[in-house]
Amino acid sequence: MLEIDKINVITKDSKNKILKDLSLKIDDGEIHAIMGPNGTGKSTLSKVIMGNYKYEITSGDIIFDNKSIINLSVDERAKLGIFLAMQDPTIIDGVTNSEFLKTATTELTGERINYFDFIKGIDKCLNDLELSEDMIHRSLNKGFSGGEKKKNEILQLKMLKPKFIILDEIDSGLDVDSLKVVCRNINEYLKENKDTSVLIITHYPRILEYIKPDYVHIMTDGKIKKSGDIELAFETEKNGYIGINDVRKKSSNE
Amino acid sequence: MNKIDIGNKEITITSQKEIYIYDKEANERVYNIEKDVILKVYHYNFDSNSKIVINLNHEKAEVEYHYSTINYKDNNLSITVNHNKKNTISNIYNHGVNILNNKLHFDICGVIPKNIENCICNQENQIINLTDGKSTILPKLLIDNYNVSSSHSAYIGKFKNDILFYLMSRGISYDTAIKLLVSSLLINSGNDSEELNKFKEKIENI
Repeated sequence: MLEIDKINVITKDSKNKILKDLSLKIDDGEIHAIMGPNGTGKSTLSKVIMGNYKYEITSGDIIFDNKSIINLSVDERAKLGIFLAMQDPTIIDGVTNSEFLKTATTELTGERINYFDFIKGIDKCLNDLELSEDMIHRSLNKGFSGGEKKKNEILQLKMLKPKFIILDEIDSGLDVDSLKVVCRNINEYLKENKDTSVLIITHYPRILEYIKPDYVHIMTDGKIKKSGDIELAFETEKNGYIGINDVRKKSSNE
Repeated sequence: MNKIDIGNKEITITSQKEIYIYDKEANERVYNIEKDVILKVYHYNFDSNSKIVINLNHEKAEVEYHYSTINYKDNNLSITVNHNKKNTISNIYNHGVNILNNKLHFDICGVIPKNIENCICNQENQIINLTDGKSTILPKLLIDNYNVSSSHSAYIGKFKNDILFYLMSRGISYDTAIKLLVSSLLINSGNDSEELNKFKEKIENI
């Protein structure tokens, strides 16, 4: 599904090198988690996959469904089925949630909306996510609580039906109950769409107790330093990232 | 409120009114608002100059003016609100989109003389340049009385890249994202009128 091949990424304004020879392969139906300390490039990676304007890939490639996507625009990548649930969803005053979803659905499918199905789908998603009905008529993310913003990202996910999902710190700002609701909805989606792959970016292993990853990667200084299974996440929580680096240094010395 | 069409250059408003206007040629109007009357105007302007004078001539006269404009060439908007009696209210909202490298100029003036008290005089102005157009806003408040409530704001710029990124990350093309944002800026009321539909067509054709 997605293969990142030794990408090097700099910021366009300050030319800072953020990602360094980073490689990662995610097959159909796999769930991968990336953990790492602040400022190591995890969120940058998610934005680079989506094609954010702030970053430039100086070398390497990103292959999605056997096709390079690094020269595609953001919307073209979304139309291929890539979805980024953002850490801090942008507030867009004046554009209502429903208008936004109608436009996105029309653009993604290239067909006119069947309003009956659309409204029925929205109602179900609102109910599943325990969101109030009025938020669909409010300006996009404006006045939403932290939890509502994150749930709204999942509402979009369920409506737009992507096949590759990036969850960028979807657990931050969520209370325990809301996290359970969000994870339950993601798991239900994955159950109905078995080929869908997920990349979870997180600081904490708590979310990984609800959405079980096949692989966990530890990222520091723009690189993936260590990969393993979910035990690696718990080991990291116990020992911290410094511990991971020490382990790596020790093993490379050996 | 009653809805009326306006073709006159000068109109005296004697009862509550909601006015919808669509202009595509240079336009000038004077509104004289009577006692205890609230006037709401939704003025959709396409690529032309506008000059508007609003006279709040009697106590408790009130105006809410929504001006929205799409521009391809250099255009000016001038609005002057004269608070000629105490206890009068004006709220003026001007939103414009500059499509090409043209210049859009807003000159918005609220006037409250020395002996006129207890007035509210607000204005909010925004111009979005889609390319490298040069725009200017003069948000003027000529107030000679301390016992008033007044505010003004002016913003000139482009749509933020973070907003475009968010919309496009859901599969919305750049052109459609721009139209969505232009609509949200220029159509800020829930009214559904023939004038608005004409204006929506112009947004679709950007």
